[in-house]
Amino acid sequence: MSEKTTYTGFWQESPRTGILGWLLTTDHKRIGILYLGCIITMFIVAAILGLAIRLELIAPGRTIMDAQTYNATFTVHGIIMIFMFLIPSIPAAFGNLLLPIHIGARDVSFPKLNLLSWYCYIVGGVLAVTSIFSGGGAPDTGWTFYVPFSTQTNTNVSLAAFAAFMLGFSSILTGINFVTTVHRLRCKGMKWGRLPLFVWTLYATAWIQVLATPMIGITLVLIILERTFGAGLFDVARGGDPILYQHLFWIYSHPAVYIMILPGMGVISEIIPTFSRKPLFGYWAMALSSLAIAFAGSLVWAHHMYASGMSDLAILIFSFLTFIVAIPSAIKVFNWVSTLYKGSIELAPPMLFALAFIFNFAIGGLGGLALGAAASDIHLHDTTFVVGHFHYVMFGGGGFALFAAMHYWLPKFTGRMYNHKMAVIGWALLFVGFNVTYMAMQAVGIMGMPRRYYDYIPEFTTLNLVSTIGSWVMAVGLIIMFANLWHGLRKGRPVGKNPWGGATLEWDIPSPPPMENFGEEDPVVTKGPYEFKGVVADEY
Amino acid sequence: MNPLANPTAQAVDNVLIYIFGVSLLLLLGITVATIYLVVKYRRSKYPEPTSDTHGNLWLEAVWTLLPTLIVLTMFWYGWTNYLGLREVPAGAFQVEATGRMWSWQFKYENGRTSNKLYVPVGKPIKVIINSTDVLHSFFIPAFRIKRDAVPGIETYVWFQSPETGSYDIFCSEYCGLGHADMITSTEVLSAEDFERWYAESTLATPEVPRGRKLLEKHGCLGCHSFDGSSSIATTFDVLKGTKRKIMSDGVEKEVEVDAEYLRRSIRAPGADLVEGFPPIMPAYGDAINEADLDEIINFLLNGEQKTSLDGNKLIEENGCLGCHSTDGSSSIGPGLKGLGGRTSEVKREGHELKLKVDAEYLRRAIRDPNHEVVEGYPAIMPSNDHLSDEEIDAMVEELLKK
Repeated sequence: MSEKTTYTGFWQESPRTGILGWLLTTDHKRIGILYLGCIITMFIVAAILGLAIRLELIAPGRTIMDAQTYNATFTVHGIIMIFMFLIPSIPAAFGNLLLPIHIGARDVSFPKLNLLSWYCYIVGGVLAVTSIFSGGGAPDTGWTFYVPFSTQTNTNVSLAAFAAFMLGFSSILTGINFVTTVHRLRCKGMKWGRLPLFVWTLYATAWIQVLATPMIGITLVLIILERTFGAGLFDVARGGDPILYQHLFWIYSHPAVYIMILPGMGVISEIIPTFSRKPLFGYWAMALSSLAIAFAGSLVWAHHMYASGMSDLAILIFSFLTFIVAIPSAIKVFNWVSTLYKGSIELAPPMLFALAFIFNFAIGGLGGLALGAAASDIHLHDTTFVVGHFHYVMFGGGGFALFAAMHYWLPKFTGRMYNHKMAVIGWALLFVGFNVTYMAMQAVGIMGMPRRYYDYIPEFTTLNLVSTIGSWVMAVGLIIMFANLWHGLRKGRPVGKNPWGGATLEWDIPSPPPMENFGEEDPVVTKGPYEFKGVVADEY
Repeated sequence: MNPLANPTAQAVDNVLIYIFGVSLLLLLGITVATIYLVVKYRRSKYPEPTSDTHGNLWLEAVWTLLPTLIVLTMFWYGWTNYLGLREVPAGAFQVEATGRMWSWQFKYENGRTSNKLYVPVGKPIKVIINSTDVLHSFFIPAFRIKRDAVPGIETYVWFQSPETGSYDIFCSEYCGLGHADMITSTEVLSAEDFERWYAESTLATPEVPRGRKLLEKHGCLGCHSFDGSSSIATTFDVLKGTKRKIMSDGVEKEVEVDAEYLRRSIRAPGADLVEGFPPIMPAYGDAINEADLDEIINFLLNGEQKTSLDGNKLIEENGCLGCHSTDGSSSIGPGLKGLGGRTSEVKREGHELKLKVDAEYLRRAIRDPNHEVVEGYPAIMPSNDHLSDEEIDAMVEELLKK
């Protein structure tokens, strides 16, 4: 016991001491922790902006801010949540923490590149924050930067676009690193068929990051050219085309939603077998469906544009492809549920978050069907239904998966356990508040309330009020969850190697893991990631 | 949602009900199965799993194929119903909708414009959509139709309402500060009401000036024309200030057309004869009283009075009220109430100055709105190059009365 409380693994072991030991670190776990700190900070900032948006919408007319502030608020909320929270959240934070350990490696292939990628993220983040307080004021274009509005507004769009460009660089570098690491650094016996599902999803995600992110880089540079030099690329009067911009933007930004959700699916695929003590149902279907989602998801971008004036033939093709993407997602949901069958199920906090993920993701995914079908999308497009749908998938899915990952893995990396009862209370409030907020938002969208509305007609009042009240419940849940984690992970009871009884490699090494993860000997793998026979959970 | 039984709403609702219905069943199935399994196989009852299966090919094949079939029906049903939104029935009544920050303007085939969309009941309506500035989107929830307004590109929607009534039109593509205020309505009128509305013109009913009535009364227009079409007498179209050659007492000379000349020509036409016309006009002598004569001369000299334009209608139809309130409430632009007596603080090329609101200022403010911007408001008003001087004058006249 006394030995355990003094052992701090990678938190203490480092070639450099003090702050430089962190700022110049090439240890994947330290970089993962740096990312996690930044990402949670960004999430809290953007969540506060989100609460402000909901508060403004509690009733028609002005409540707490004027229209320009409101427009800037939802723009900044979107930019931070997407580019600084969701895209790097699981891949950059938990991917860095776990990918090398999961495949039995001592670090990623390019540790210095990994640190550079974090610095790109920091530069992008600083630029984004600067754009709020400098120049013509915070950008007011929405996170989509649609032309011609984004080329005309006087606000600080160019700087914000450049910030997103830098964040894209960070994402590409992480992607290259992960692809190489998975190919080159698997330990002895770690065949492709023995990779944990989390690694498969990170691998699929990394390919999207490498292949799709350059598109958004180019597109954002074109916006800057258009604003600075009046290039005329998107101006019909000068031979350009505003719809071209939308294609360029979504060629990245649709695959980007799979960057945000795929690693989350990987997390869920780790947690459900562990808390059922049973192999994941349909390993290969789960692995290949991740690649299928990454591939097919790259071909559906124009389903954001059915009402844009694009040709009907294009709508036919993109609607068809969109429904094809639904199939691998459905397979995943069925396989998760089947894993529970004849298992031994423990409703620990990570499992509760994982089950909530399945429910939220199912609603988000099924709502997506109505948006993928041409006729129904015409009514629902650009209403708050889309906003609700997006939050169901990204927050109810991606966000809940991150919370699940935090509850599942952070005890591993801090060596301490949080309070389970508080975690369940936080989870319950979050789950209920979440569903009230976004279900009401979807309903008012079906009634016809357009998105990005500062003010609305009286008919929409009740549902907006309900949604705002839901957001407060959610906020209380978030506060309890973060406070409990913060307190527990610093002061909680120490845990051993394997508090949950997991079968992947990280549960074989001490908590927190030492520098270079494995002792003198490289690990040798002789079984699949979900063989729980003989695995015993440590008491804590 | 609106239970309106119109063709476009039905096409969309069919698909919505099908997809939401199937989705609800699937969600229910997944949720019930999950809860059942979690409760049944809880660890307190089953400390160890009772199966270590890695999968089941048949089951997985079933739940790959089944969702494939389901989503393909959704795709096809969605597509075929979408076609119903695109195929406009023959003989549709056509209206042009132009979006700009932050109002819609509708233009009809007879040249009439309006800020609300007036349409006849029961007829298919095709709305051709365009934008003058940024992206907007034309959205009528009651008819489930939506299409972006893209500058430089024409798009369209169609709908048909079986009932009269008023239905909201929203802009659903974010377009800046006044996005949420870019609301108007489509007014579905009965056939008769619509005909009446459609026939009204923006021009006020012209009142025939008394001078012209007198010309008719005295038979002048039997020989004289206003457009030079008569060969037996002079034309009345441009008289003031022109010079003409006349024969006066056998002497050819040039005179300027003024009141004095006209008076003489009416009282005693034979005295001065215009070259090229026969001396056939009767002398009116005392047949016209002095007051009437003045009226006629005034009318002839100052030409036919322009029929007056309705400034209020122009203000409404040009979408000014999208940003400027008339009831003193605050909005995106300065309110119009009490504009006449107001002193405005404006910024011109970076300099702040106080201006009294007068006709000259308002004319500038409409023509070149961002030259002088009122303090506390953004410089975002579109310029109004399509308005004629007369139209602006008519608007200014009304604005000063607000």
